[in-house]
Amino acid sequence: MDALAKSDFHSKEESAPAKPFVLWRPTAKSGLIDWLTTVDHKKIGFLYGFFALIFFLVGGFEALLIRTQLMFPNSDVLTAQQYNRMFTMHGTTMIFLAVMPLGAAFFNIIMPLQIGARDVAFPRLNAFSLWTFCAGAIIVNIGWFLPSDRWGAPDAGWFGYSPLTSKGFNPAHATDFWIMGLQLLGVASIAAALNFIVTIINMRAPGMTMMRLPVFVWMTLITSFLIILSFPAITIALVELMMDRQFGTNFFEVSGGGMPILWQHLFWVFGHPEVYILILPAMGIVSEILPCFSRKPLYGYPIVVFSGASIGFLGFAVWSHHMFTTGLGAVATAAFALATMCIAVPTGVKIFNWIGTLWGGHLQMRTPMMFALGFIWMFMIGGFSGIMHSAAPADAQQQDSYFVVAHFHYVLIGGSIFALLAGIHYWFPLIFGKKVSEFWGKLSFWVIFIGFNTTFFPQHFLGLNGMPRRTFTYDPNMGWNTANFISTIGSYVLGVGMLIYFVVIVYTYLKGKRIGHDVWDGRTLEWSIPNPPPEYNFRVIPTVHARDAWWYEKHHKEEIAQEQAEHAKAEAAHGGIHMPFSSIYPFVASFGILIASIGITAFDSNPAPGIHWKLGLSLTGGIVMFIGIYLWSLEGNEGYHLHLDDESHAPETKPSAKPH
Amino acid sequence: MRFSSFLQPLARWSGRAGLALAGLALLPGCKFYDIWRMDGHQSTLVVDGPVARSQRDLFYVTCWVTLVIFILVGAVLAYATWKFKARNAADEHAEPPEQGHGNPLVEMGLIAGSVLALVIIAYPTLTSLWYTYDVPTEEKKDAYEITATGYQWWFKFEYPHEQINGAGALTASNELVIPAGRAVRVNLRTVDVIHSFWIPKLAGKVDMIPNRANFLWLKADQPGYFWGQCAEYCGDSHAVMRFRVVALGPKEFNEWLDSQLQGARSVAVKTAAAGQAKAQFAALRTFKTNEAGVTDKFEVAPLEAWRAKQFPEKNEDGALIAQGKALFTSKTCMACHTIRGHGAVGVTAPDLTHLGSRTTIAAGLLENNREQLQRWIHNPAAVKPGNKMAKGYIDNKISLTPEDEAALVAYLESLK
Repeated sequence: MDALAKSDFHSKEESAPAKPFVLWRPTAKSGLIDWLTTVDHKKIGFLYGFFALIFFLVGGFEALLIRTQLMFPNSDVLTAQQYNRMFTMHGTTMIFLAVMPLGAAFFNIIMPLQIGARDVAFPRLNAFSLWTFCAGAIIVNIGWFLPSDRWGAPDAGWFGYSPLTSKGFNPAHATDFWIMGLQLLGVASIAAALNFIVTIINMRAPGMTMMRLPVFVWMTLITSFLIILSFPAITIALVELMMDRQFGTNFFEVSGGGMPILWQHLFWVFGHPEVYILILPAMGIVSEILPCFSRKPLYGYPIVVFSGASIGFLGFAVWSHHMFTTGLGAVATAAFALATMCIAVPTGVKIFNWIGTLWGGHLQMRTPMMFALGFIWMFMIGGFSGIMHSAAPADAQQQDSYFVVAHFHYVLIGGSIFALLAGIHYWFPLIFGKKVSEFWGKLSFWVIFIGFNTTFFPQHFLGLNGMPRRTFTYDPNMGWNTANFISTIGSYVLGVGMLIYFVVIVYTYLKGKRIGHDVWDGRTLEWSIPNPPPEYNFRVIPTVHARDAWWYEKHHKEEIAQEQAEHAKAEAAHGGIHMPFSSIYPFVASFGILIASIGITAFDSNPAPGIHWKLGLSLTGGIVMFIGIYLWSLEGNEGYHLHLDDESHAPETKPSAKPH
Repeated sequence: MRFSSFLQPLARWSGRAGLALAGLALLPGCKFYDIWRMDGHQSTLVVDGPVARSQRDLFYVTCWVTLVIFILVGAVLAYATWKFKARNAADEHAEPPEQGHGNPLVEMGLIAGSVLALVIIAYPTLTSLWYTYDVPTEEKKDAYEITATGYQWWFKFEYPHEQINGAGALTASNELVIPAGRAVRVNLRTVDVIHSFWIPKLAGKVDMIPNRANFLWLKADQPGYFWGQCAEYCGDSHAVMRFRVVALGPKEFNEWLDSQLQGARSVAVKTAAAGQAKAQFAALRTFKTNEAGVTDKFEVAPLEAWRAKQFPEKNEDGALIAQGKALFTSKTCMACHTIRGHGAVGVTAPDLTHLGSRTTIAAGLLENNREQLQRWIHNPAAVKPGNKMAKGYIDNKISLTPEDEAALVAYLESLK
């Protein structure tokens, strides 16, 4: 017991001489080495956000190409195959490489700050999630840079319906990249989700009971549970598909008695919760922003939390509404239709409570508030077209038509993206200590809002007028010309809006003026710390007395000051603020996984040519991964101590002397 | 500070002005109002059969219920935003409002209201679901059965009750002829990947899935001509996997069946009119990629145009047709296509026995006329990327001279 406790509280000087060279712990606090080895949740979150926004721009560019192709009937901007690649990669990129990691960025940066923690529970696992995400992103996209006859970018749709993905119909390795890339993204997501769950359950500040958690933290928790429960389904499906393609098994091979419909069940058992994985963090963000800018607490907190949990729970019971046209039979279709309608209730409850939050408040129309209000409007429209889909017979006409495209873009752009854009504006002053100009922020909001609606509202009519999705061309006599033209113009406006948004963000990051503390007069704990947040987050771990903890602190200053002084003394006696060491091994392990996965994607069911380099590459990668994980375990979970003087300065030259 | 307070309304108004400008710019140029016209060939709102009508009526129910909720909730949201907005610096810095946490009675009331609204949708959903799922009992006896099979990228239609001696069921391709006013039960099969069978004006789609005996039913109120399309992504040329449906009255349908049960029509060489000008082998004009292959011939009175297609054309060149018939064998077309009565018995490609009487070729993509037919056989890959005929040309080293193409076109067009 003593030994265990001790290893946790070694100081730098003590551990250094006893270690062999390979277990050297990086100490850089800036530069490339720092970014590759950091275990600081804020830096990892920043990297998640950075990569996510890059992929968001890539996915957006793909979308603009799609819209350009469809601007006029019978155009040939893209070939059929290029078009199919675009929509496959647009979907895959936006879901797995943009919205999910952007959510993860907020989980990482904001969640520990909101619960009064100094880091996540497993800082190195956090780094491993990030780098494995990068490996997955690289593999999904690597095909763009390879010759398209045998490799190429994936073109079987983001849903990869079997048997179109089987070797017989899709012999190129593009699909293998898609399989392996998604597999890695799943590993990254599950590792991250477990980390968040353990963090939220174990590392809350004293007094932060579950029913005092900020709603964003609740949504992080629910989303994380959805990830660890839903991703195994697609992991299994992808393993089976990989076995079919690389090793000649028959899970989905029709000629061998396989069942293609099995893929759809496995995929949507994952895929529907995935939709909530994309939207619940957004709801959490909006549930933070609305109270802040209405200057009153969230209306009906327990019901908002409970409805979030219900949405997550019901999300596992409605997967077959993606399969209403697959001939499930009348009874099964009816059951899934009714279950789907049930989801409308907790979703509606959230909207009522957001409006209740506004009611009687003093609404401050700042940029984050604009995006949050835009979110409610757009999400309502997306939700209502969702209810239309739950009526299964009507859905038989809408399924795979542009009506569905309109629906889920209202939910995912008008919903998720609007909320994420709101979140970026909202927490930007906290993360970077600078504030984006209100003028440019609002301008970007209006351009995005108009562009978005011009793009996607006409698509409802296209769908009802019978235009199917995933089609690279259409004839001029179908009555689809005008709506397609307007939609494309709208997409350009949307693109300009996004451009304004991000140029302004980058400009502010580089040239913005520093602003003061707690710029929005916030309600939750993240606003209690200086900006940008110091490495250790909280000088003193706060004690939580109420739901909106920071709001309470601001209105009970003397009580809190007294309490904090006592805590600071206690912590100093305990050895100071304990911080974990950086580590290179999560990066090494992920790098090994990347190499091995590239090797595996190159396998054929007939392995004769090039088997040596393929096998060699896979094994090399496996060994690198193994070494990474082994040394990671061996180096131990040590850290160092910070002692702050009264002005919260942490002199680097004065490391902790006392081991324990 | 003063500068930004000047800019904020500017931002607000520039947004609104932008919207107005966008609307104005679009109005004259491209008939903005067009998007409200919901009567396209594949409209799901202007429909011609009871199944599609049931689905449309249900859609309208969901539409009205959600529209009412949207107006109510939206009005409250808009009012709250307007009413409680901070309008000036004093508002901004006012004491925070009462820190209320909500009212359980209001919550429960709203939940009950939502459940009620869903019941209004759920009831017609269930009735429509059972109605659209299978042929109603009272119509079962009279129902007509057809088997539709999806191929990458075309449809085969079989008539299991119309057996041809020694040749199995009557088979057609890409143009489905059904009896009007009668329930039709369509068995849905596929030979390769998942396709989806969708004739928006007659019925919502059902997928064709390997290892799965799916079906749907539909009925056309009146004789008519309908557009259909594959609705599940099925590979490279999914977008151009289309078909047409012709619904005929009982008498005309039976006449059509009788004509189809005949083998392919033969044109005697001697019918060539004496002194007729030798066929011109003008080089095929170049087509743009994805150029539309349809004219407005089937826009106004498509059924009449279809009927006209059933009769042989005047001035057929018997010699040229005979030459085409020989080429069909020598160029190995018959390895994949069937032309019943002419010795071609391939089954991996569309049945061409009565090709000349169809309104479209290449799975509903191109209008069936000489120019488009020649465009298709000249370079199938350019019309339908990835298709097997293009691959067959390469594998079997098939090349066609303009003369060959003209002869083949003449032959295929004669197959009424």
